[in-house]
Amino acid sequence: MSESKPRQKEKVEPEREFTKATSTSSEEPLSDMTKDKTSERRGSETASIKAHEFDPHFKHEISNFHGGEKLKQCFQCGTCTSDCPIARFSDSYRPRSLIRMALLGLKDRVLSSDTLWLCAACFTCTDRCPQDVEVASVIRIFRNIAVKRGVIPQIFKELGSNILENGIAYKIPELRLKKREQTGLPPLPKRNPKALEKLAKETGFLKKLKGSG
Amino acid sequence: MVEDIPRIGVFICHCGLNIAGVIDVKEVAEYAKTLPDVVHTKDNRYTCADPGQDEIRKAIKEHKLNRVVVAACSPRMHEPTFRKTCAEADLNPYFFEMANIREFSSWCHPSTPKEATDKAKEIVRMAIAKARLLQPLKEIEVPVTNKALVVGGGIAGINTALDLAEMGFKVFLLEKTESIGGHMAQLDKTFPTLDCSICIEGPKMVDVGRHPNIEILSYAELVSVSGYVGNFKVKIKKKPRYIIADNCTGCGECKEVCPIEFPNEWDMNMGVRKAISVPFEQAVPLIYTINLDHCIECYKCVDACGARQAINFDQEPNEVELEVGAIVLATGFDIYLPYDNPLYGYGKYDNVITALEFERLILAAGPTGGKVIRASDGKKPHSIAFIQCVGSRDLKKYEYCSGFCCMYTLKNAILIKEKYKDEVEVYILYMDMRTPFKGYEEFYRRARNLGITFIRGRASHVIETPETKNLVIRAEDTTLSQPVELPVEMVVLCTAAIPKADAGNVARILNISRGMDGFFMESHPKLKPIDTPVDGVFVAGACQGPKDIPYSVSQGSGAAARAATILSKKKWKIEPIVAEVNTELCRNTKVKCGICAKRCPYGSIEAPENQPAEVITAMCHGCGTCVAECPADAIIQNHFTDEQISAQIKTALKDNPEGKILGILCNWCCYAGADLAGTSRFEYPPLIRPIRVMCSGRVDRDFVLEAFKLGAGMVLIGACHLPYDCHYISGNARMKARMDALAPMLQKLGLSPQRFRVEYVSAAEGLKFAELMKEMGIQLKELGPETIKRENAMLKPILEKMLAKKQRKSK
Amino acid sequence: MDVNKDSNQKAWLLFLGCAVPYRVSSYEISTRKVLAELDIKLVEMPEYNCCGLPIDPIDHEMMLILAARNLTLAEEKGLNLVVLCPGCAGTLRKVNKKLKESKMLREKINSYLKETGREFKGTIEAKHLLQLLIEDVGLEKIRSAVKKPLFNLQVSEHMGCHVTRPTGAVDFDNPENPEALKKLIEVTGAKYVDYIDKSACCGAPIAGVNDKIPLQLTKEKLIHVKDAGAQALITVCPFCHMMFDTNQPRIERMFNETFKIPVLHYPQLLGLAMGFSSEELNLKGLRVDPTPIISQVSDRAEGK
Repeated sequence: MSESKPRQKEKVEPEREFTKATSTSSEEPLSDMTKDKTSERRGSETASIKAHEFDPHFKHEISNFHGGEKLKQCFQCGTCTSDCPIARFSDSYRPRSLIRMALLGLKDRVLSSDTLWLCAACFTCTDRCPQDVEVASVIRIFRNIAVKRGVIPQIFKELGSNILENGIAYKIPELRLKKREQTGLPPLPKRNPKALEKLAKETGFLKKLKGSG
Repeated sequence: MVEDIPRIGVFICHCGLNIAGVIDVKEVAEYAKTLPDVVHTKDNRYTCADPGQDEIRKAIKEHKLNRVVVAACSPRMHEPTFRKTCAEADLNPYFFEMANIREFSSWCHPSTPKEATDKAKEIVRMAIAKARLLQPLKEIEVPVTNKALVVGGGIAGINTALDLAEMGFKVFLLEKTESIGGHMAQLDKTFPTLDCSICIEGPKMVDVGRHPNIEILSYAELVSVSGYVGNFKVKIKKKPRYIIADNCTGCGECKEVCPIEFPNEWDMNMGVRKAISVPFEQAVPLIYTINLDHCIECYKCVDACGARQAINFDQEPNEVELEVGAIVLATGFDIYLPYDNPLYGYGKYDNVITALEFERLILAAGPTGGKVIRASDGKKPHSIAFIQCVGSRDLKKYEYCSGFCCMYTLKNAILIKEKYKDEVEVYILYMDMRTPFKGYEEFYRRARNLGITFIRGRASHVIETPETKNLVIRAEDTTLSQPVELPVEMVVLCTAAIPKADAGNVARILNISRGMDGFFMESHPKLKPIDTPVDGVFVAGACQGPKDIPYSVSQGSGAAARAATILSKKKWKIEPIVAEVNTELCRNTKVKCGICAKRCPYGSIEAPENQPAEVITAMCHGCGTCVAECPADAIIQNHFTDEQISAQIKTALKDNPEGKILGILCNWCCYAGADLAGTSRFEYPPLIRPIRVMCSGRVDRDFVLEAFKLGAGMVLIGACHLPYDCHYISGNARMKARMDALAPMLQKLGLSPQRFRVEYVSAAEGLKFAELMKEMGIQLKELGPETIKRENAMLKPILEKMLAKKQRKSK
Repeated sequence: MDVNKDSNQKAWLLFLGCAVPYRVSSYEISTRKVLAELDIKLVEMPEYNCCGLPIDPIDHEMMLILAARNLTLAEEKGLNLVVLCPGCAGTLRKVNKKLKESKMLREKINSYLKETGREFKGTIEAKHLLQLLIEDVGLEKIRSAVKKPLFNLQVSEHMGCHVTRPTGAVDFDNPENPEALKKLIEVTGAKYVDYIDKSACCGAPIAGVNDKIPLQLTKEKLIHVKDAGAQALITVCPFCHMMFDTNQPRIERMFNETFKIPVLHYPQLLGLAMGFSSEELNLKGLRVDPTPIISQVSDRAEGK
């Protein structure tokens, strides 16, 4: 996936450039935080989490997905976050906090959280969790549900469309293919994008890609 | 008396309005009168109260009653009461039977009084059917050897031994290592008072050593145990010390001349001891031991010992046999050494140690003279972090909480702070701080006031800086949602308390079970925390699960009291609901059978070749598993005979069998769970007709066949949860094996699978039982009587043939 | 190049994936060279598609279908798969295991595959290159193929998460204490150098979402590698390789550091030890100039 790097060479700084979701993370400038648009929007004076934000069913919903079965065993020890390579360098990505929000039922906050897309799926958290929570899989489930709501970061859209068009995740330029054969490698095997498109139609994947977001 | 025609008295209790508020008690009484052999009926407001009991006693005399049935609450509640009432009127107590119409009817069917009354009538009818076949039984008495064996000389075992000895009983205290004292003797200070561990334990150890009623068998191991409550035979193997105990004065002159040193396990291998030595100065008994693995046989010690002649290099292991009436296991725990966890670097990084190693470091009499120093450079660290829950609360290692680590961590942290003040920064990484007992929370506050830094997060990784041998701990400060990288100069791992390495072996020797966690299982987690399923064998201290010192001491004394209830008697009474072999029917005389001996959870049946099997009555716990297993129906269980249970089944299914669930429920779990459903007033449809057996292991497959032959709508077998809940070790597993074979066969013959259920309901799962009843009720309705009748018609001839074949065979 | 000449060779179906043919051909070139020498016959795999991993975040089910389709292609050929990219290998292994174990899932996925005339049967295995080398070729055979042992060359590894994680699903080596690549490096005669956070992720998978963190992660690892005194770093993953090699000059500029640590695909290292020339192994395809170590290698090896 790092092939997209040249494209992004210019913009190194922002951590969440791709997403359109509103953020309440601590990384916002102080002036924004003091304004507290959250409570304005909900027409309430207090900064507390409001009753309508809780969806106690959310944790069960996650548990019903493959890989989410053990979610409710989490006792918030922080092992996942402490050795997470991303969390060590990010100001906002905390797998434990995402799980905490899910357990509390803050469905909207989890699914619209931009940090959701920062998991590198290295599975260190999953391997080390003392309560067998498959943390990386739980985050994948969050993402899959967010996609159903129309949130897909551009990069995943591109990868998805490429796969359906070419069979593989990248469009390989002609020049490279020529170069390949010059180095003595056999030509790349033929691919069958038609079969993939058929499958994508069947499963609704195509719809997801073309849908809003 | 057996040939007497039964004269049954039936007493129906109103239980205030508890029963009479729902059930028409008069109607039940009138109905009971019409049943065979019933000569007297009476209803009372409270049968269990004095006037109610009086009426029973009077009626026995007046009406010459030879059977008594009380229809009231659960037999688990008042069966002992009414048995006593009968005995007081000179009626054998086993001529009493109880009909549970409260928990099983009035309390769980309040909105259908008519159906509840009908169900109550049938429950009474079933009780009467069993009562007619009751036999008088005599309690079995066995003699008692009033000596005890205590296995394990830690603080729990020491207390058991001292208490029993003080009560006047002879006690053998078996200790595997060279000295009693256990883990407590390794510790520096104790929480929350900070008194010196060996200073308070030492005098107790000396008391044990001096007590005329206590014989210490140290450096010795348990080999085998046979016999039963009051009459155990124990074999013990004593390892050779190469010292004649009687001649050794403990002077230590031999040690002075010994040239060889080796790592001292007592010091967690941080210090050394001589090849001839004691593990620590306060050892009891104070007898030296030669370690032949290290001894170079220079014989300098022999010269030093001189005329005392205490050294004998030819000593061999020898076996001792003891006879005792009770056994207390106090074998303690091991400390987890996390060599297998590469993330914390134990065994790899010099300055990562366990908490038990830390105890030896900070202990004034320890290998460093009480100086906390780093193994890498011998220098005092300026910062120390304690990592909690190493191995504990971890599904990949030990699922349970080790209980005392929070407190010993606080203690060690406080000791450092009080000793070194602000020269040493102290961190504690914890997940939850658990300080629930007397003085503990106050101790936690003391730690906070000393400036110890608490970080709420589980350390995930320890990294060594190779040049300095300092360490960086990675964790998340979960209160700040912030990953932290904490640099410290020493890391102390607070590791799990785990079952003794040989716990499995000890459990096998004594025929007791271990829980999922590997610790010994108690009989009941709340009401029998010190008993085991084997009568006369008790557990105390950390061998049953991690425990701190006060808890272990209390359990030690508790176990002494429990053992004394046996040792203080000349004879021990055993409930006579045991199994008996009909020697004429037993096949073992002709073919090699012995199935009963193999399947008995207690090993209480012997089946020598060509001889009939024999039940060792005192060892039989009365589960009835052998009765159900016997292929020749040659074993009976007193008070739960085939005829009695069969009569209950027939009576239960006399009318409208298709609309009923016949339930055979084990006394300890499912029946108790059903009782709880009643007590909790969970309402469910009144379809079940319950039969109580002591253990589901008693459920013969013929009972199931019989029930379906008679047209039962459904059959439920209710048992304790697998694998460890069974009160008879493995009766439920035997039942399961039997029914796993039966169920597919019945289905093949055309029985809908939902009509035969085996369910596991604990005594705490009243709700589960009620839900189960609702679910089965719905299924029964869905199937409908027509389907059931059709299936039954198809099944009946085959079942009849199967049952007849069995009967022929047994004749 | 014809690697299929000897019929005694054991045949494996080569799963190239997306990234290897696109950007990391040195990995493919050196792998083909080395495996041929070790009597492994590679069969090309027509019609293969992306393993599915890149779209797992948006649609888990579609990922399963893509992976399963690849597995059915291998089943059709009756050959086990050897996979160069750990991401693909992990995905194919995981899905293969899951579908073999769960009848329900298998039936569900097959109901889709049926539309394209395919069915998952569960008859083959998929392995990453490392696993093939350790389990099927064997260290002994590799050792005997080493002609020019790389004595005194000090190298470190970055294995890549998906070779071993998640533990239960991938079932290879121990991620907390990995040994496979270490053994394979030592068999070349090179000296293995351990370093802090060896098994930590390089960050490549989120490079499309966040540019900074992966570079920071890789930088930190490069610092540890340098501090440990390694002369080269060995990878077995196209993405990890891009992070450490392709991006190394950029990282040096961005964080004002100097590393100049050549990053070799393992088959390149092994190839050198087996006596292949740097041209044959396409060492010039690397971004960070490997000449200093190459000259050292040949000098020392010949000196012995």
